[in-house]
Amino acid sequence: MNIGLVSAAYVVAAILFILALGGLSNQEKAKRAIWYGIIGMVLAVVATVMTPGVGNLPVIAVMIAIGGIGGWFVAKKVQMTQMPELVAGFHSLVGLAAVFIGINAHLEMERALMAVADGTAGALTGFAATIAKKTSVELGILKVELFLGILIGAITFTGSIIAYGKLAGKLSSNALTLPGRHAINLAAFAACFVLGFLYLQGAGLWTMILVAIIAGAIGCHLILAIGGADMPVVVSMLNSYSGWAAAAIGFTLGNDLLIVTGALVGASGAILSYIMCKGMNRSFVSVILGGWGGDAGGPQQEVEGEMVPTNVDTVVQQLEDADSVVFVPGYGLAVAQAQGAVSELTKKLRAKGKEVRFAIHPVAGRLPGHMNVLLAEAKVPYDYVLEMEEINDDFPQTDFVMILGANDIVNPSAQDDPNSPIAGMPVLEVWKAKNVVISKRGQGRGYSGVENPLFFKENSRMLYGDAKDSLDAILKQMD
Amino acid sequence: MGMKVGIPRETVDGEKRVALTPETAGRIQKLGYDLQIESGAGVEANFSDEAYRAAGVEVLPDADAVWSGSDIVMKVQQPTMAEAGKLEAGRTLISFLWPAQNEDLLSALKDRNPHAVLAMDQVPRISRAQKLDALSSMANIAGYRAVVEAANNFGRFFTGQVTAAGKVPPAKVLVIGAGVAGLAAIGAARSMGAIVRSFDIRPEVAEQIESMGAEFLFLDFEDQDTGTSGGYAKPSSPEFREKQLALFREQAPDVDIVITTALIPGRPAPELWTEDMVRAMKPGSVIVDLAAEQGGNCALTVKGERIVTENDVVIVGYTDMVSRMAAQSSQLYATNLRHLLDDLTPEKDGQPNVDMEDTVIRGCTVVKDGEVTYPPPAVSTSVAPKAAAPKKVEETAEQKAAREAEELRRAGSRTTMLLAVGGALLLALGMVAPESFMQHFIVFVLACFVGFYVIWNVAHSLHTPLMAITNAVSSIIIVGALLQISSTNTVVMVLAALSVLMASVNIFGGFLVTRRMLAMFQKS
Repeated sequence: MNIGLVSAAYVVAAILFILALGGLSNQEKAKRAIWYGIIGMVLAVVATVMTPGVGNLPVIAVMIAIGGIGGWFVAKKVQMTQMPELVAGFHSLVGLAAVFIGINAHLEMERALMAVADGTAGALTGFAATIAKKTSVELGILKVELFLGILIGAITFTGSIIAYGKLAGKLSSNALTLPGRHAINLAAFAACFVLGFLYLQGAGLWTMILVAIIAGAIGCHLILAIGGADMPVVVSMLNSYSGWAAAAIGFTLGNDLLIVTGALVGASGAILSYIMCKGMNRSFVSVILGGWGGDAGGPQQEVEGEMVPTNVDTVVQQLEDADSVVFVPGYGLAVAQAQGAVSELTKKLRAKGKEVRFAIHPVAGRLPGHMNVLLAEAKVPYDYVLEMEEINDDFPQTDFVMILGANDIVNPSAQDDPNSPIAGMPVLEVWKAKNVVISKRGQGRGYSGVENPLFFKENSRMLYGDAKDSLDAILKQMD
Repeated sequence: MGMKVGIPRETVDGEKRVALTPETAGRIQKLGYDLQIESGAGVEANFSDEAYRAAGVEVLPDADAVWSGSDIVMKVQQPTMAEAGKLEAGRTLISFLWPAQNEDLLSALKDRNPHAVLAMDQVPRISRAQKLDALSSMANIAGYRAVVEAANNFGRFFTGQVTAAGKVPPAKVLVIGAGVAGLAAIGAARSMGAIVRSFDIRPEVAEQIESMGAEFLFLDFEDQDTGTSGGYAKPSSPEFREKQLALFREQAPDVDIVITTALIPGRPAPELWTEDMVRAMKPGSVIVDLAAEQGGNCALTVKGERIVTENDVVIVGYTDMVSRMAAQSSQLYATNLRHLLDDLTPEKDGQPNVDMEDTVIRGCTVVKDGEVTYPPPAVSTSVAPKAAAPKKVEETAEQKAAREAEELRRAGSRTTMLLAVGGALLLALGMVAPESFMQHFIVFVLACFVGFYVIWNVAHSLHTPLMAITNAVSSIIIVGALLQISSTNTVVMVLAALSVLMASVNIFGGFLVTRRMLAMFQKS
């Protein structure tokens, strides 16, 4: 395959990737769009393998086979509730690969430069051959790109591993706040840039390895300092970084396909992070720096009234009486694995001619769109599942709202109390419905640590206990 | 071993209700209680002894057996003095009691030294207690029945009709007092097709009246002090009363049916429909006075009787509206009792716990351990309004338009700024960077823009599949590793091979998991 043909294949692959992402605009198109992505990937890999100067085919075949089987196995086995940690885990692999390829690029560059010095550049093949032709300015730029690729790759790698650990429950999801953590991060970044400068001045591989190690530490520390409910932003951000790392490597290697694809992924992650931050009314910087900004002026409003518990019998009665029911799922639903039970309940209520819908807040769960996937897994048809903007105006006409393991996203103080730490965050206006039942494990507060006045409202009742147990009990009574 | 709950037959004349239905029996047994009922107690409400037996209730031959053999006695009407004498020490009695009007009865009950006496008419009017609010259940039935009685005595259709034989105008119904009974009456009259008007001295119920489909008669009166206590109206000032009567006088010749439901707790019913109003009504009109028991809202009402005035207006003063629908009222009342037992027995072990800390139970309990505990300390019915919650200022259309124009202008100038700065930066970069870099850089910037527009169109519900697929796609980094794998340097080769391995995990895993997720999204 000559270079022209390879480039043509790359163009086609890039277009297919764009189509694959664009196809996600609706559920039916998406099922076709994924094939664009797969074909694009196959085309890119085949074209690259056929490029003149690329050899070692047996090794490639073995590695792809092992990796493929591993990936296939994981993808088949994973539970939908584990999606957040799976995505985070996958990101770490891209990050580490970026670091490796960056180091390789450096080694190849040294080899090429030595060959040029020896006058044997003609014997070089592949990547080394292209480097040998570069001018000194181009080499300088190459080094910058290489530095960026390794830096971002290493942050993505360790950050994703920590995110994985937190999401999988292997690490505490509480935010770790070391004293002077901003200073630590700043110093570490400064160290990286100093090393990068040294590298540009001709220092050897050790600078890059040090950069990889320090950046890895930054990744760890950054993500450790971010609490559980901010994870949607973190995962989106890491998604974005893995894209930028690929793009940086694309620059290093002079490969447009990598650049285009990396930019697409980078943009995608950046937009997701933006949407998530808007959903919490927080700036990206404050999320990444961890913790809730304590900049609210004045004391918060006192909450009056009492939390009134209810029981399964009453809830069943209310469900029987209601014409329109809305469920509001949150992370607690995923923890309790209650999506199957709520789907069963939806079917039963629908069969009785009631209007049953789901209201999804943008940041519900630990991953953008987490709740949608869980409900889809439980076979809740997606046209019952509405976004916040679509359903918020309907709450006053709703007879019964059941909150399943959500807290901050239904907190009225975001609207009523300008001194609340979550003031201004868009929330689901469930309190406007006739009856609200909150299924909750205990009386604790949400992630933000803010008291939720919803629980004290006259039309709210608390249904204590595990969401799945409660729903199962309701299902049993419904028969 | 659960306690025994007994239901004697009602002894008051004309009382057809019963405090237990076979349906509620099952639910009460689930709480751990054993049930027994006097033979024939439910006959007048259409519940036979067989039906109770089938529900697992023991049927006892006479009232004495019930009174002496039950730990808890549940009744509808307040006990007679004779019945009070049958209450044994340490037992519990639940029924209507009206402790304010029946002090003798209360002290007689106290002297029997019972464990507790709970009055169903003393349920606090808070939302949590609605399910055991027997007064509301009974009022609802009375309101409905009032319309049925009115229709029965009214010689014409309720609904307007255009028939071959001519046009029939709809009946006009005036409901005075829009409490539970009034609202039920409005609903029933509306559903029969009448034009319904309603008046209440509490202006805040206007919304409820209108939501039931009636017209709220608005009384223009300044300086109204018509607050409520426990959900009931308070007596009004003489000036207000005059205005109110003037309003009714205006309505009298026009309306066909008047249903009055105005009650003030602990006082005789206010006289709202005077004699001259009755005389002003058309012949054949009907007045149903639901306040007949407390003396009636209409001046001419005779308690417990149906009378016809000189000008052929029928005035119905029955006091047993609820008992006239014994099956329905027994069912609701028994359910209220069941809910009370539910609250009394949180452990579901058949052992009632009269918890004086619980505001609902505290409110109902009028005698506890030989002491009169009526009246209960005041309970606030609703949460106090929040201290100075800042109200959002509603903006007018012009302000909104101006704000939007301003925002648009700002966004526009921001975009211009960004473009200028970005353009300048790119130019600066172009000055120093070599051509080969700029070529790639153009591709990069364009790809960012394409990505930006493409991703904004992705459905929110597909964000997780989006992350999974971008994850797979970002493994395009495999191309870089493939280009390096044929290097003669072993370290490079090994690192590249490892990168290929990791990227393939991602490619296969990412695409597969995306496919799995997308396949799950199904339309109804």
